[in-house]
Amino acid sequence: MKTEKKRILVVDDEPSITRVLKLNLEQTNNYTVRAENDAQTAVAAAQEFKPHLILLDVMMPGLDGGELASRFQAITELKSVPIVFLTATATKGEVYARGGQVGGLPFLAKPVEISEVIACLRQHLRS
Amino acid sequence: MAIDCVNIEVITKSKKQADEATRESEQRYKRLLASVTDYVYSVMVEDGLAVATTHGPGCEAVTGYASEEFETDQTLWYEMIHEEDRPAVLEQATRILRGEEPPPLEHRIIHKNGTERWIRNTTVPRKDAQGRLAAYDGLVYDITERKQAEGRLTRAHAELKTNEEALKRTLEELKGANQQLKETQLQLIQAARLESVGTLAAGVAHEVKNPLQTILMGLDYLVPNCPADNENIAIVLSDMRDAVKRANTIIRGLLQLSAATDFEMKAGDLNASVQRALRLVKAQVIASKVSVIRKLDPHLPRVRIDSGRIEQVFINLFINAVQAMSPGGVLTITTRSGRLGDNLTISETASRPFHRGDHLVMAQVQDTGTGIPPANLVKVFDPFFTTKPVGTGTGLGLSVVKNILDLHGGSIDIQNSAAGGVVVILVLRAEPEERLGSVQGT
Repeated sequence: MKTEKKRILVVDDEPSITRVLKLNLEQTNNYTVRAENDAQTAVAAAQEFKPHLILLDVMMPGLDGGELASRFQAITELKSVPIVFLTATATKGEVYARGGQVGGLPFLAKPVEISEVIACLRQHLRS
Repeated sequence: MAIDCVNIEVITKSKKQADEATRESEQRYKRLLASVTDYVYSVMVEDGLAVATTHGPGCEAVTGYASEEFETDQTLWYEMIHEEDRPAVLEQATRILRGEEPPPLEHRIIHKNGTERWIRNTTVPRKDAQGRLAAYDGLVYDITERKQAEGRLTRAHAELKTNEEALKRTLEELKGANQQLKETQLQLIQAARLESVGTLAAGVAHEVKNPLQTILMGLDYLVPNCPADNENIAIVLSDMRDAVKRANTIIRGLLQLSAATDFEMKAGDLNASVQRALRLVKAQVIASKVSVIRKLDPHLPRVRIDSGRIEQVFINLFINAVQAMSPGGVLTITTRSGRLGDNLTISETASRPFHRGDHLVMAQVQDTGTGIPPANLVKVFDPFFTTKPVGTGTGLGLSVVKNILDLHGGSIDIQNSAAGGVVVILVLRAEPEERLGSVQGT
């Protein structure tokens, strides 16, 4: 029986990052990835794409990840969608020190290897 | 007979003249005595005992009592002496009655009008032909004004001394405050410098980490997709991954260096920081086959620290020490406390931020490695200075350590040990006990 691919919405203003993330995740055949490089259009994209999980950059021009996460959570159909932050402003040590949570949401410190991203996705898609 | 008559006449005339001269001399003496405020008294002595005392006419001016009053009341001379001075006066009288010549005595009397007066009493013995004490005279000077002046002078002197001491204390306090101000200013400059470095580093870190992320995930994508028959591609991709990790380590060091301004200072136990740091480097210690000796003073005073930062300091120092040693090496950590210059002696470099007598806490990290070449000792705190093989050290570890210590108002000194290896000394100010009390009480 073939399991359904999980839909992952990746929001990051760096197209090179969303591109390699998409390539890496999709080559596992477990995920369908939609890349969004503009935070302003990300909410509409999420409503249309209906992701199982959102990977969200923290520092983006115009609208930061924290604010965007609040907007996602304010929408009924997206309220229960897990969000994982990707941040370049914290170190791995700080991620461990904060128990992998920032503002109650999990986060990964850039640069992160794809194996760590996949482990994190599995953990939060299960729960 | 005529001659006899003449002789008698001459003798009578001479006697008359002599009597007149004596009378005149006595009158002059009386006038003189009456004209001065000082007076003379005489004490007649028989068999070593005073039997009668007469007081000269000036006594009234000094004591308020007339000579007749002293004659009527033979104990008046004693009763008018200030109670506290009576033993000294009696001692003076006893000595002169014993035939000695005591020095003049200054003492107080109570004037008839009730006021206190100071007198100087000089006694002179009078002896008979056999050399026995027949009487003694005493000359009494009123020295009240002099004594009052002396008193004023003594009080003025004491006041001056108190003022001088207060001035000295104020000066010391000012010096201390000035020194503290200078230290605070230096810390502020250091903090401001670090803050600007920090802002820059945080910006650089963000900008560099995104490209690193692209490269790292690019490698993640390329590795499983590269042709299996081309070994060189796999090697190049592996080198690229190592390069990304190295670059990331440098960025992490810069962030640590810059984050040093954001401190959370609390009274803490330096021994606990040592123990926690040792637990965190346990894996490296075991892998390097070195042993650890702890000589931690169980009565160490608390210090005002950001425990997390101080643990970071110890971790950096322990890792440096472990990496500098061959298997079998020994890492020794010692803590102790004391008063600088009294029961605690540290190097000039380590004692620079402190003053003699300051209560300090010291931690010493010693390894048994090969030591640091003397030419490099002065550079160890320079950012990016490292003697470690390429790729294993960023050269930021000791810069981070020094900055953290500086911002704690502490000091660090690194020296080669005479027995070989490196000795690192960290010094922090002990938390004042009253501050601890107030913190505990809140």
